[in-house]
Amino acid sequence: MDLFFHYLSQPYLVTGIVYTVLITFFGLLGGGILGIVLAGMQLSRFRALSVFARIYAVIFRGTPLILQMIFCYNALPMIGIKLTALEAASLALALNEAPFIAEIIRANIIAVDRGQVSAGQALGMTPTVTMIRIVVPQAFRTMVPALGNEAVSALKNSSLASVVSVQELTLRSTQLASATFDFFSIFFASGLMYLVLAGSIAIIQIVVEIMLDLDHPDPKARFARLLPWYRTPLPVEAEAAEEEDATATPLPPASRKAIAPLDRRKRAQAIAASRPAVEIENLTKSYDGRKVLDGLDLTVRLGEVVALLGPSGSGKSTLLRCINRLESWESGTIRTLGRQLGVDENGLKLTPAAIANARAAVRVGMVFQNFNLFGHLSARENIAGPLRWVQNASQKEADRRADELLERVGLTHRADALPRHMSGGQQQRVAIARALAPNPAVLLLDEPTSALDPELVNEVLEVIRRLAVEDGLTMLISTHQISFAKDVADRAIFLADGSIVEQGPADKMLSEPSNPRTRQFLQIMKEDAELV
Amino acid sequence: MKITGTNNSLSMKRSAASTVFAASMIAAAFCGSVVTATTSAQAETAVPAACADLQAKYPDLKGKTLVNAVNPHTPGYEAIDPEDPTKYIGFDIDLGEAIGDCLGFDLTYKAVTFAALLTTLQAGQADIVISDIYATVDRAKAADFITYLKVYDGVLVAKGNPKGIDGINTSLCGAVAAENTGYVEVPLIEALAAECEKIGKPAPEIQLYDNNANCIQAILSGRADTYINDVNTVDGAVEAYPDKLEKATAVTLPYSVGIAVPRNNVEFRDAVMAALTEIQKSGLQVELMKKWNLPEDQLETPKLVLAE
Repeated sequence: MDLFFHYLSQPYLVTGIVYTVLITFFGLLGGGILGIVLAGMQLSRFRALSVFARIYAVIFRGTPLILQMIFCYNALPMIGIKLTALEAASLALALNEAPFIAEIIRANIIAVDRGQVSAGQALGMTPTVTMIRIVVPQAFRTMVPALGNEAVSALKNSSLASVVSVQELTLRSTQLASATFDFFSIFFASGLMYLVLAGSIAIIQIVVEIMLDLDHPDPKARFARLLPWYRTPLPVEAEAAEEEDATATPLPPASRKAIAPLDRRKRAQAIAASRPAVEIENLTKSYDGRKVLDGLDLTVRLGEVVALLGPSGSGKSTLLRCINRLESWESGTIRTLGRQLGVDENGLKLTPAAIANARAAVRVGMVFQNFNLFGHLSARENIAGPLRWVQNASQKEADRRADELLERVGLTHRADALPRHMSGGQQQRVAIARALAPNPAVLLLDEPTSALDPELVNEVLEVIRRLAVEDGLTMLISTHQISFAKDVADRAIFLADGSIVEQGPADKMLSEPSNPRTRQFLQIMKEDAELV
Repeated sequence: MKITGTNNSLSMKRSAASTVFAASMIAAAFCGSVVTATTSAQAETAVPAACADLQAKYPDLKGKTLVNAVNPHTPGYEAIDPEDPTKYIGFDIDLGEAIGDCLGFDLTYKAVTFAALLTTLQAGQADIVISDIYATVDRAKAADFITYLKVYDGVLVAKGNPKGIDGINTSLCGAVAAENTGYVEVPLIEALAAECEKIGKPAPEIQLYDNNANCIQAILSGRADTYINDVNTVDGAVEAYPDKLEKATAVTLPYSVGIAVPRNNVEFRDAVMAALTEIQKSGLQVELMKKWNLPEDQLETPKLVLAE
């Protein structure tokens, strides 16, 4: 026992730790940088880059670290690169860690909800902005535990540097054991030193996790969480939100205009006189050889509200996503306010970043079936953030606009709540506010109430109705809410198998459809509604 | 290099694990130096007079700092100093320092596994290897050797020699021998397989480790029956564990211990050989052998072992 304490405090072993820490640090730093590059290459749309990254991973993940150490130390000098032992060991560890770290990064980036990426795109964010503002912050949070693991594994792997003569802890322990024959005291002492180092990494990991934990804004809880027996309580806010929603948050009182019955004739006249907002000609698109859109033609005029109806798979969502260029298509053109998204004046294909800028310039807003709010941002920030990043609004301006819109959708009191603490109806209202923030000329709504519990549907429909009536906003809504469509839309379109089967004034067409397929569809919808 | 090492250990004493120390370690590490040890003081031995002539003949070596690759797991030849682990001590270390003093160069040390000694030299990560390595024609493909000691091996066994092992012969049939990767004893023991078969016994089994300590542990833990290696190393192990280990016998091997230098650097090889000759002539080598308890008759006049 005396010997154990003697070796535990022996400067020779303690300074071995310095080398262990240095190799681990440089190995992780280099591996991290290289890992980011490799992950980027694998996720890249350029095939050559991802192939290269895969080959690298196969080689460096598939060969033992000990060989890589020896290679860096003994083989590189043959081509004129003579590294010191410490440099060679750090380089080998970095090369070895890189593919593992790259996979952690890639897995967590892929795991970020694709819908949020679509939402970012629809708001006109470039791929870079989406990556930095939306994907990375969320991916980083989830990759911390895996990175902590990797750091501990790198720490232990650093002991292999002893084969290339780095005087790290393991090498010093074995040398000392050889000279003194005190094997066990020495190895227990160095084992304890490794435990302390690994423990420090665990502590760093916990602290980072706590700092990144969005559910714990309370500073007291941050420290309490450091205790091993601490268990995260269920978020109180979420329960509160549930209760609150049972009574549904009221919208601000409706304006007189919103209460007054629609003067359909007057609206129809105004719409007929206005210029086209969206012009679609002969749009064709297929998935795996199956046509989803089949030579579709459609013109929507400014101020018009169009309801898209049709069975699942009829192409409603695809059509909306094409208008915003979230999807590409084989042939046909789409002009939004006279401008084609996705190609330049000469008809050449634009880069994703250029398309994003064009989207922001044309001002087409989109609301998704699954809300697609940015999970790591508060309601206010979901609205204000994109204004700052895309429209370059100042912080003050963006916050003012966000608060104004939150008030309009009746959610001022939820401004600081995270999406996961809000009900579906509240989330969709925030999503609508977010889409409205840059003053879109056209708003696309893709089944905005389909993912909602029945009792939450009305609060969202009411928000949309007011937009149509009060703002005169041009809207394309795909929906299964027939009575809502009849009430709000100017025109109804029935879509089946990628083309328009029937269209006409909403109130008339939805009451007396002329096409048998439309009739059959409406009949089914009616029966379903009665069942509910 | 010597100065760096000394400073480090001093500052360490003043304030354990001080940041200054860590900083200097990092700085030194970045300068590309191997921050370890240097050597035991050599002041007590005088430099032979003829060395002045050699320094004049080989002026390029004077003032240089060369790297000596060692496998510091052989107490008596090369191991760290338990009193001050920043230093390496042993006969080989003293001999290397004496050659350095004679030719006017300093030595730093690089600790590697036994099997990596010659690869480290080949990769240019070391300039010389003085580490109780036997000069064989096979190894001469990787480096030129200058011999300085005859080889006597000891047969280390557990107390009482339960398997009755008495040399590198059929007494090893069916026994387990611990050896280090790359040791010359390995092929000698492997070659017994045919003989054992002839007398209807199983072949000896070999466990490969990468340092003496592990081989000795293998016997202590009962995993191996014997460890055949340099007799002085075996004596050291018996001294450390008199209740558990013993030397069954000593055998002579047809090899010599040699200093390895890079191939095709004839001038450096000649200089080292000339210095070694002077050190032997002046009686310094015998003096050093006495200091480390090596029997005098182990001394061998320098000769070259080169690839065929």
